[in-house]
Amino acid sequence: VTGLSDGVPGEAIATWVAALVTLVVLGGLLGERRLFGWSQHLLAGLLTGFLAVLAIREVILPRVVEPLASDPAGRPELWVVLAVGALAAAAPWVPRAVAIIPISVAVGTLSAFALGGAVVGTIVPQVAAAIAEPSADPTATAAAVGSAAVSALVLASFLHGGRKGRIAAAMSGAGRWVLLAGLGGWLGYLLLSRLVLLLDRIAFLLRDWIGIGA
Amino acid sequence: MTERLGRLPWIVPLAVLVVLAAATLVPPPDGLTLAARSSDGAAAVRAVLDEVPAGGTVTVGFDPDVGTYPEIRSATRSLIAAVTARDVTLAFVSLTPEGRALLVSERGRGMAADVAGEIVDLGFVAGSEAALASLSARAVPVGGGTAGGLRAEGLGASDLMLVIGGNDIGPRTWVEQVLPRVGPTPLVAVTPTILLPETLPYLETGQVDALIGTPGDAAAFIAAEGGSGDPVDGDRPANALAVVVGLLMAFGALGHALVARVVPAARLRGFDAG
Repeated sequence: VTGLSDGVPGEAIATWVAALVTLVVLGGLLGERRLFGWSQHLLAGLLTGFLAVLAIREVILPRVVEPLASDPAGRPELWVVLAVGALAAAAPWVPRAVAIIPISVAVGTLSAFALGGAVVGTIVPQVAAAIAEPSADPTATAAAVGSAAVSALVLASFLHGGRKGRIAAAMSGAGRWVLLAGLGGWLGYLLLSRLVLLLDRIAFLLRDWIGIGA
Repeated sequence: MTERLGRLPWIVPLAVLVVLAAATLVPPPDGLTLAARSSDGAAAVRAVLDEVPAGGTVTVGFDPDVGTYPEIRSATRSLIAAVTARDVTLAFVSLTPEGRALLVSERGRGMAADVAGEIVDLGFVAGSEAALASLSARAVPVGGGTAGGLRAEGLGASDLMLVIGGNDIGPRTWVEQVLPRVGPTPLVAVTPTILLPETLPYLETGQVDALIGTPGDAAAFIAAEGGSGDPVDGDRPANALAVVVGLLMAFGALGHALVARVVPAARLRGFDAG
């Protein structure tokens, strides 16, 4: 819908609101900080409201309250969930030793799944694939040896403490440069992603709102 | 000149916005059209889609983030349209609030509206990694319809998993939490460019079967599916020119910062030597 021309009123209003908020955000780039700060508060408020609605409608009610209401004795684990949730909500008013229980459970569980998954799904398969094997294809062998060399240099860059010999110091220095090059490459990818986002907003203002080139 | 610009700090950002706006409106020359290049990623995605059996189940992990979704929006729409054209059960699940919000928005705009098979909305599942592990190992609570084998076997019943990735949950999480639990299942990912370094190793090892990870891949896939091939603006002409202009300006800013840092230091050393 083009905001400045005829269209469905609801969609036109949505386009106008989105365009004005986009202008406010771009205004922050030009130095208008007060409205930009207001838009940040608006975003934070909307996100908080959305999270609350999502938690109540899609998690707490269907997965905890409704099963407990229909069969209170049949799902004992949900009573534990309810108790842990209540503890988390009451954290400011209960002793610290009790209040840290739900946080500890959450952090421990997430860490365990993340670590286990990283080992089984990433480290083992990737190391297996990166092991240099004799190959008829010299390019593949060179790539594998190169990968091993880069890994060794980056690991060497984390060597701290103690006296290092000239070779170890040179490897450590080279590893730091390899690490910096990797970070630079990653920033390049980030630049492209953010540039596309900016262009998308500019195209929205020009085409969907003003109607130029629509 | 520099002093005058310093008094008007908004001039340069405004000039950048005006130049980018102008570049957005100018049609790119033929050689600069993103869809013109061939893409192994787009071809691999289409090959994997062709392997999905009629009546099969395709699970879509929809977790892009607001900051990068514009980059993959058109490719995502095109990919979902390509899947819904087949006779499959399509199950959507989100593990991040942002992903859920974007999915609700896309469904509201008509994504997967003309589906040949059945649509199952598994909703938002809290718990990120733990939630994925749970969905993989257990039967999925699904209301209504046949829902493929999800009701009995969980994500293991999927004939294909599509992961629309973002900064929080992407193909890496699915590879780490789902694949070890459900066994070999084709996995296709759509990710923004920023996730390319993280995802490419999985593509090389075959843990991810196909990937649309760059604007070029996206444009090639959309063009192959009969769209315009523009990864940024849906059905509008590609604005690769604006991307190139923006990158050139960014490189210019980097070069300026580098010169501003190196030249005074070199002068200082010159004075010291003198």
